[in-house]
Amino acid sequence: MNASSATNSRLTIFCGKGGVGKTSLSLAFALRHADQGEPVLLVTSHPLRELAVSVSLAGLKEQRPLAAANLFIVHIDPLDILANKVRQVVPELLANRVLASPIYGSLITIAPGIKEIAFLGRLHELAEKHSDDTNSREYKLIVWDAPATGHFLQTLKVSQNFEAYLSGPFALLGREVAEFFTEVSNLNLIPVTALEEMAVDETIELCEQLSRELQIIPSALICNMASPLLASSDAEFAKLREEVARAAADSPELKFILNHHAIERALLDKLRTSIGAQVQIVRRKASWNSDVELLTDIAGQLGGIAYT
Amino acid sequence: MHIEVFLGTGGVGKTSVAAASALRAALNGSRSLVLTIDPARRLRTALDMKADGADQRVPLDPACTGELWAAILDVKASLDRAVYRYASSQEAKNILAHPVYHLLITSLAGMQELLAIERIHQAMEDGFESVFIDTAPSRHALEFLDKPEFFAHLVSFPIVKLVGRTYQWWVRSGLGRLSRMSFELYSRVEEMLGATLVHQILDFFSIFRKMAEGYAERAEETLAILRDPKQSSFTIVTTPFKARRDGDYFWGELQKRKFPVGSMVVNRIWPEPAAGAPAGSSQQVQDLVAWYQDVARSHQLVRQEIQSIFGAKIPRLVALPELPGDMDGLHALYEMVKVMEPARDGK
Repeated sequence: MNASSATNSRLTIFCGKGGVGKTSLSLAFALRHADQGEPVLLVTSHPLRELAVSVSLAGLKEQRPLAAANLFIVHIDPLDILANKVRQVVPELLANRVLASPIYGSLITIAPGIKEIAFLGRLHELAEKHSDDTNSREYKLIVWDAPATGHFLQTLKVSQNFEAYLSGPFALLGREVAEFFTEVSNLNLIPVTALEEMAVDETIELCEQLSRELQIIPSALICNMASPLLASSDAEFAKLREEVARAAADSPELKFILNHHAIERALLDKLRTSIGAQVQIVRRKASWNSDVELLTDIAGQLGGIAYT
Repeated sequence: MHIEVFLGTGGVGKTSVAAASALRAALNGSRSLVLTIDPARRLRTALDMKADGADQRVPLDPACTGELWAAILDVKASLDRAVYRYASSQEAKNILAHPVYHLLITSLAGMQELLAIERIHQAMEDGFESVFIDTAPSRHALEFLDKPEFFAHLVSFPIVKLVGRTYQWWVRSGLGRLSRMSFELYSRVEEMLGATLVHQILDFFSIFRKMAEGYAERAEETLAILRDPKQSSFTIVTTPFKARRDGDYFWGELQKRKFPVGSMVVNRIWPEPAAGAPAGSSQQVQDLVAWYQDVARSHQLVRQEIQSIFGAKIPRLVALPELPGDMDGLHALYEMVKVMEPARDGK
């Protein structure tokens, strides 16, 4: 263990409802820092094959070689972590039989919280840089692209009440994990939301639960896919509305835009009054040719988000 | 009897599309049920859905001969119901009081998926003519189709059967009568997980086994029905931004599992760009309209692209416009049914 070199053990977490853009934002955030030559590790709970379905990094090497050289993406599969643990504890030949036995398979599947502990355990190792893996490098930044709200909360809560059911090596792992994840200063939590009613309600609930049950307060909040008008002040918007009402009573598209935007604005106000964190707005790009182009555009808008 | 399963990633309006499809079936005279996973508050209120997962009838126009029912897919309620129905009353009591039972319900991520299949079976027993099922909003949603089979296979493993059947005896005899290898394996697993947990789980399985076997049997029946294109169809719900990738992914995964894909719905398409900014508008309005037209145009392009990619693979491609966000629950569903009509009646 070389914990002495752990200069920065904060973990940046992008969380929120499914479909609001957590993966794109965490990737963009990681790219922003990798682009400045800082080695960044993005931890995803999506298998890489699924990740590739939602976003492609084709062309990154050619367009942003520095970022490509400093961006590392890893998928943590809890079953692999558990299997490694078994191999560490049990002699090799027997370990293979244990792993292949249906008793192990069914118990691991069914034992509550084990997979979550394994996942958090590995995440913790990476964040504290005390991995047994001798090839592990020094990351300046570790970003966790967390699963959608329900599963995310469930995962974090496991670190609080694992002791009731576990003993043995996994319990030991659980204890370390609990220490890390209940120390609020280790976590840089950034909820992401779209300005849609369901997503906003869920985000407010998520923040309430995080603060009530886990004492975690978000350090910033991102509103993704906003229309370009959202950055304007209320007065500017009112003026614009007036102009449009006068000039374009018969333009359905202008009405659609304003209606759409009025809803966004009301939801943003609701978020601001319910959640104390600084709000960062990310505009919806109208069109783009490649995902790398889109991610670069988003990365450019994340200047207000710090990680230390 | 018709079952329609809706798949899609988060934020695409899957629940609304499922509920509107159920409403549409009811308006056409069917006794229909929509099973939702995590409905928005407004929809929940509009359909008067109860948190305990009970079927709730939604009042429609009295002239309508069909019925619309709605329920939240509730893990605890569905599992409790299955326990009462398939275990003897003493067994049911033991199961329901067991600490592992409560752990299973509250902390096992996959339970919702396992229970969705059981819930479909219950809906069929309840005599619904059409059942519309919302699934978890993620690419993992397909686990709901994988897990029951996994579970069915697991229950049929001889060793699991043996452990289930003989556990009580096993504990009494101090594990002494097991073969050396089984004993060794068992104690290693116990060492990893902790004796208390392993004992509790095995104890639970020994009483839950019969039920689990019953579950596995029903799951196989239900899965066979879901694979039969005469009785079931799968609908991929997506938005313009994700349409191509979601379409490719879900279509491929469903093909692989031999489930019939009936429709793909591209939801929330912005209205086609029209005249542009009125003459004499300020720069800001002109910029805004230009931005809007860019987005709307890209939505139209996606529509054409989807037609050319999936036209030959998926029988029905449906494009639904983005509806104004200030419409509330049931009214919004009626509006959605209205815009669904022309696309679907052509078939």
